[in-house]
Amino acid sequence: MTTEYVLEANHLTKTYASAETPLTVLDDVSFKVEKGEMISIIGPSGSGKTTLLGICAGLDVPTEGTLSLLNFKLNNMSEDDRAYLRNQSVGFVFQNFQLLPTLTALENVMVPMELRGAKNVKAKAIELLERVGLQNRLNHYPTQLSGGEQQRVAMARAFMNTPTILFADEPTGNLDEENASHITNLLFDINKEEKTTLVLVTHNLELANKTQRILKMKGGKLSEEIRNQSN
Amino acid sequence: MIDYKIKLTRPVKNILNDAWVWKMAWRDARHNFSRLFLFLAALVTGIAAVVALDSFNQSVQDDIENNAKELLGADLVLNSNKSFDSEIFSVIDTTQVAVAGEVELTSMVLFKNSGQTRLIRLLALQGDFPFYGELKTLPEDAYQKVKQGNFVILDETLATQYEVSSGDSVKIGNIYLPVAGVVTKIPGGGGLSATFAPTVYMSVANIQATGLIQFGSRVNYSIYIKTKDEKEAITLQKNLESIAKRYSYGFETVQGRKDGLGAGFESVYRFFSLLAIVALLLGCIGVASAVHIYAKEKREEVAILRCLGSTGWQAFSIYFIQIALLGIIGSMIGATVGVLIQQSIPYFLSEYLPVDAAWTVSWSSIWLGIVLGFVVSVLFSLLPLVNIRFVPPLAVLRTNQDFINRFSKLRLTAWMLIVLFPLLFTWWQTKNIWIAFAFISALLVVFLLLSGLAWILLKLLKKFFPSRASFAFRLGVSSLFRPNNQTQLLLVSIGMGAFLIATLNVVEESMLAQVEFAGNENQANTILFDIQPEQKEGVIQLMKDHQLPVLQVVPIVTCRIQSLKNIDAEKLLADTTDSIPSWAINREYRVTYRDTLTKAEKMVKGKIQFFNDTTQIAHVTISEGMHENLKLDIGDSLVFNVQGVPIQTIISGIRKVEWSNDPPNFIFVFPAGVLEQAPQIFVNTTKVIDDAKANVFQRELVTSYPNVSLVDLRLILGTIRQLFDKLGLVVRFLALFSIITGLIVLAGAVINSKYARLKENVLLRTLGARAAFINKITLVEYFYLGCLAASTGVCLSLLSGYLLTQFFFKISFAFNGMELGIILMIIVFLTMLIGWINLRNLLSTPPLQVLRKEN
Repeated sequence: MTTEYVLEANHLTKTYASAETPLTVLDDVSFKVEKGEMISIIGPSGSGKTTLLGICAGLDVPTEGTLSLLNFKLNNMSEDDRAYLRNQSVGFVFQNFQLLPTLTALENVMVPMELRGAKNVKAKAIELLERVGLQNRLNHYPTQLSGGEQQRVAMARAFMNTPTILFADEPTGNLDEENASHITNLLFDINKEEKTTLVLVTHNLELANKTQRILKMKGGKLSEEIRNQSN
Repeated sequence: MIDYKIKLTRPVKNILNDAWVWKMAWRDARHNFSRLFLFLAALVTGIAAVVALDSFNQSVQDDIENNAKELLGADLVLNSNKSFDSEIFSVIDTTQVAVAGEVELTSMVLFKNSGQTRLIRLLALQGDFPFYGELKTLPEDAYQKVKQGNFVILDETLATQYEVSSGDSVKIGNIYLPVAGVVTKIPGGGGLSATFAPTVYMSVANIQATGLIQFGSRVNYSIYIKTKDEKEAITLQKNLESIAKRYSYGFETVQGRKDGLGAGFESVYRFFSLLAIVALLLGCIGVASAVHIYAKEKREEVAILRCLGSTGWQAFSIYFIQIALLGIIGSMIGATVGVLIQQSIPYFLSEYLPVDAAWTVSWSSIWLGIVLGFVVSVLFSLLPLVNIRFVPPLAVLRTNQDFINRFSKLRLTAWMLIVLFPLLFTWWQTKNIWIAFAFISALLVVFLLLSGLAWILLKLLKKFFPSRASFAFRLGVSSLFRPNNQTQLLLVSIGMGAFLIATLNVVEESMLAQVEFAGNENQANTILFDIQPEQKEGVIQLMKDHQLPVLQVVPIVTCRIQSLKNIDAEKLLADTTDSIPSWAINREYRVTYRDTLTKAEKMVKGKIQFFNDTTQIAHVTISEGMHENLKLDIGDSLVFNVQGVPIQTIISGIRKVEWSNDPPNFIFVFPAGVLEQAPQIFVNTTKVIDDAKANVFQRELVTSYPNVSLVDLRLILGTIRQLFDKLGLVVRFLALFSIITGLIVLAGAVINSKYARLKENVLLRTLGARAAFINKITLVEYFYLGCLAASTGVCLSLLSGYLLTQFFFKISFAFNGMELGIILMIIVFLTMLIGWINLRNLLSTPPLQVLRKEN
């Protein structure tokens, strides 16, 4: 049986033009992620984790190398095509939640499916919000919610379009211990239920240890790959 | 690695079919209307200015069109400055037309109840004038009494001013007549002339008894004719033409009056509409600036949407829909405000308008405002909104990720339309492509100059600001150079408002300076005219008895041109190819004789030549300007008909005359020794200081010499001042639109830099700065901003004022430093006020809130 890869990064390099010498923030990075696999990318600040996540999720394009997401070669796709692909199959959880401030919690969760043109999406959105424990906060705006609650809304939104792959960037980075633990449990629980592939960027080794594989970044390069046998 | 070849099929929806876009536009807008307040304010101000002026113009034009006959009072009017020859009546008598007559002259009136006197316009009416429209009086039968004779009626303003009521008597010329009532409305209105000399109406039957029509008196005669229809009016005009030409009678038709009023009003409207265009263009800058701020604020949200799968066009459409719909709402509000303003314009200008243009609402203007508002909001928001399409989704991860500056056809089209829009709009408003070109070019030059000056001033401020100044001052000034502060744009837009208001002030002051003769030393402020030769010594004696200096005694002789450069006047008139205007050949000239120049004159070519008995040719001088009209130069010959006697003359000099300075002034001046024996009248000038003495003198003058009229130049000056004040109020009101839009742009820029300010303030407060200190820094920044902008505008207004007075109005340049200083201070104050209001909001934000957000 052949292995089905959801994400394939080949020799990814990202260089930014600067006044003096070009700045390489990602240097020849290659890896693959199997369907349903949970991996984490760790490394010190400035090691290129977030850049790698951005490129893998199709938010940015590499200067060199190729990237395939869900069998689509992102290098050749327009920004709008990549956006469409994200809407169909990708979910996101960000460190600073990134909720739309002008929309209620329920509306924020409904956005990915509404964007797709789907009808009757309210029930599923309410179900997801109930799943994250926010059944009483449906019509609250982000500013009326605590940090932990905002991240739970973001989580519900991330799973709304039943994504094949979920990208999470420091999902607990802005939360206290209690909330962080709650969010971590939710993230892994729903992920397991939905059989979603997870790419997690974090500083938190404890969190990274919950994934099956850890990619260590240093100075823009993939310095080490650790297989976590316990997961 | 396998090369994947799966192709993505993305459905593409247009904006109208994409329900999600409309839903998002509404959801987002629910919380953003307050953020778009600036956009609305800028749009409303610009549209209100355009609608107010256009609607007002429509109302006036419609009224002129609908009431053209009422404006003239007849189908055909014949005018002359001498009594009509019987020949004209013999032609009129062959038709079935109704005829009325009018005699108009200037005279003094003495109010018996108070003993006061006043220069008036006397209208002696005959027959059923007016044939169209109505001469309304209070009481209603007052005009009937006048028609029967031995009564007068007065303009309402005159009666009110001198507290005259029905039954009181007035002395006009030699006779006393009782007042029957006041005139509340007359066809065509009194116009501007009524402001200077209010009218007294009497019957023609009484005119001879007044003794006012004497040799040399300026009298205008009119015949009002009512025809069956327009065709008969045209036929009659044709039949009368040859006689009219022979006797130099003028015609006035309904169409002519309509065109004249329309053209007169057109130039006023053009001027006002140019002001409205400036307000609209500043409004456009305001719109663009407000949407730019909005788009910037939305950057993060757009990045999230892009991350969740929205296309660039979908994100763009969400905000485009909001702006377009809000543009329509703003235009409607602007149009409503415009109509309200239009209703108030006649309130200020009603005295000078020939028609009642008050309450007509012009729907075409309202539609114009709405369509224009929509176009402006869409067009000027396109550029900032296009950026939304290019917000990278990566901005959710990296907040410093900027808009991608990508080539876009939409951006290019928007640029082209934005450049074309002001030109096309001005063309359409002024109906003249050249005016549009000139105006837009001038505006561009002003913009460039303002920009250049602003740039230089900022550079100088940066370079020369004392480094040892207090911390608050240094910080305040450095805020001007904060990134995204839009200091230069602010300087230009506030400077533009200041420039407009200050330019108007300079022009107004220059115009007033032309008539500001009353205060000058040894300069006459009172003129006595129509003095007959036999009255000359008596009037001089009367002046001396009242200790009034006799500054000038000027003889005046009336004459006409008989031939010019040996060509008969009649031949010149018949020659249609000759470019000498017929009015210049046909008119009656009032000339004087002397061998010197007055203070108001300067010889620019040739010289004064004394009369030489042997040659019998008089060497006359002509005023500059008129020599161009008559195509005359030194050495050209001219024959004058002086009361039937031909006088051969040669042009010996060209004088530059400052007409308003030391009147009376003359087009032609003869040398002494030629016209002494010709029939003549005299004008005396004097300087009145004591008003009480002057009143006694005027009363005695009217009693002893009823035909002699007196013009108090101070009174005229006062009237001109009032007129300027009223017109100035309207003009300033319109210029205020520019200031308001400038302030809206300022508020926009202040909000734009709000976050940067917030961070600075919080940092300062965390470090221990008190609110008063932060207030000081902000006020210093806005003080400099206001000062630089206003002084740039005011400096430039001196240049534009100079150019306008020298080349357009052709008057001497003058300005009032005090008033310009006040304008400058008001603008600085307003700028500081806006900055301070914004700061209050920032000061109420707790430092911790901002610091947390930062973390």
